[in-house]
Amino acid sequence: MELYGKMAATQDNKQKESSDQNFDYMFKLLIIGNSSVGKTSFLFRYADDTFTSAFVSTVGIDFKVKTVYKSDKRIKLQIWDTAGQERYRTITTAYYRGAMGFILMYDITNEESFAAVQDWATQIKTYSWDNAQVILAGNKCDMDEERIVSVDSGRLLAEQLGFEYFETSAKDNINVKQTFERLVDIICDKMSDTLEADPAVSTGTPTTRLSDNTTPPQQSDCSC
Amino acid sequence: MNQKYLQYEDKTSIFRTLWAKPSKTSSADLIHLFSDCIRAASSRTKEYLLFRDPENKFHPSPSTLSEIFLMTYVQHSSLLNLSDTFNCTAMTHEQRILLGAHWVWAVLDQPSKNPRIQIAVHVFHLPERTEDNLEDLSLDIYSDIMRMAGMAVVERTQAERMVEFCSSIGRDCYALFLFFGRQSDEGNIYGLLSNNLQAAVGKCVRIDQVFIDHFFKGAKCFATSSGMMQTLVGKEGDDPLTMLVKFT
Ligand SMILES: Nc1nc2c(ncn2[C@@H]2O[C@H](COP(=O)(O)OP(=O)(O)O)[C@@H](O)[C@H]2O)c(=O)[nH]1
Ligand SMILES: [Mg+2]
Repeated sequence: MELYGKMAATQDNKQKESSDQNFDYMFKLLIIGNSSVGKTSFLFRYADDTFTSAFVSTVGIDFKVKTVYKSDKRIKLQIWDTAGQERYRTITTAYYRGAMGFILMYDITNEESFAAVQDWATQIKTYSWDNAQVILAGNKCDMDEERIVSVDSGRLLAEQLGFEYFETSAKDNINVKQTFERLVDIICDKMSDTLEADPAVSTGTPTTRLSDNTTPPQQSDCSC
Repeated sequence: MNQKYLQYEDKTSIFRTLWAKPSKTSSADLIHLFSDCIRAASSRTKEYLLFRDPENKFHPSPSTLSEIFLMTYVQHSSLLNLSDTFNCTAMTHEQRILLGAHWVWAVLDQPSKNPRIQIAVHVFHLPERTEDNLEDLSLDIYSDIMRMAGMAVVERTQAERMVEFCSSIGRDCYALFLFFGRQSDEGNIYGLLSNNLQAAVGKCVRIDQVFIDHFFKGAKCFATSSGMMQTLVGKEGDDPLTMLVKFT
């Protein structure tokens, strides 16, 4: 049934997880793109390893939290799932602020969603900070018979926009984990670049100490 | 069914001209079906609101009562095939914190299925049924989430979050505060529907259950659920609208 399609289980520990402050780093990530390209499914596959073929259009905005480990550090990912429709633009763009990474998604069987990628990229430029990292994801690659956007045109567009590129399937679990892991990697790389480039920081110890857990590091002190 | 529908058309002929032309019949259907579903959901919920067991052992929690309402609604709406034109999306736990809404109803445009009118719903319960500090707890979690998201933390009650969410969408998104029982009337379900509470957010008042309950003081006339839906579907333009509704 539609209503229950993607309702998250509400357990007390979920509540704790969403606001739990015990981590070394916190990355805020956003998934954006046209409606029905598979953003919500992609997040459900990654966070809960589930998939449903029912389409429950996301209302406004939602998020999930997932903790990953990298070089012995706990990295908490706060992953925001946005609604693609125009009517939610005010609320969704408000959440771009402070995002360190974006997954910009289109559907390889839907020309319109691919044509909209440029506009979504512009939204990122307008509403987020300059160093935000972006991965372009061509989702539903399990539906090759209905493919309209070729792998090459996806890759070419990603190159032009300066993004990395994956073809993915939330349904068949293809490149889902890889997309998130790669995004985390390039965010970390970017941060250590920033650290090296910033003399004020690099005069200190090159491996930055973990900052106080109660104030999550935003951009400048990651050494993972 | 057909006969019922005709009767209905007669009664509401004045509204006919106001309705959007391509979906005239479906609007009438929609109003009718919606109020059927609401009637079923409210009357079942009412049974539980009024239930008293001799040993005083059963105390259904607020969330149980909301679930009874919603489950009955959903059951009827899928039986009547309503969900294609008027859908109901239960919010996830996270969305309830962020947006202050428990579920969102939407009139869908065809064939795009994009929402044309939305109603975000928040349920209030009688104080004796409400778990202590629920509002405070929600505020704390909300602040933590926002802080982690690197966003400005502005203190907002759940009701205020919902009002702000609605106003971020526009005048065609309404906030509906449902009261499962009111102090002097424990068994009935009332609601305040408005697209115009935004003006009060962040002012001297705090928009919460007590504030919204004031709207009912001295009120004698209430719209029915079909009256509410008629007004929404027939409405044109961006005028503010606030109405009191009795669902049982
Ligand atoms: N075949 C296929 N269908 C998918 C895939 N991902 C999502 N879908 C379906 O596409 C529809 C829209 O998905 P959803 O995640 O709600 O899209 P969103 O609006 O971008 O969040 C749903 O019916 C999903 O089941 C995928 O990788 N392969
Ligand atoms: Mg979605």
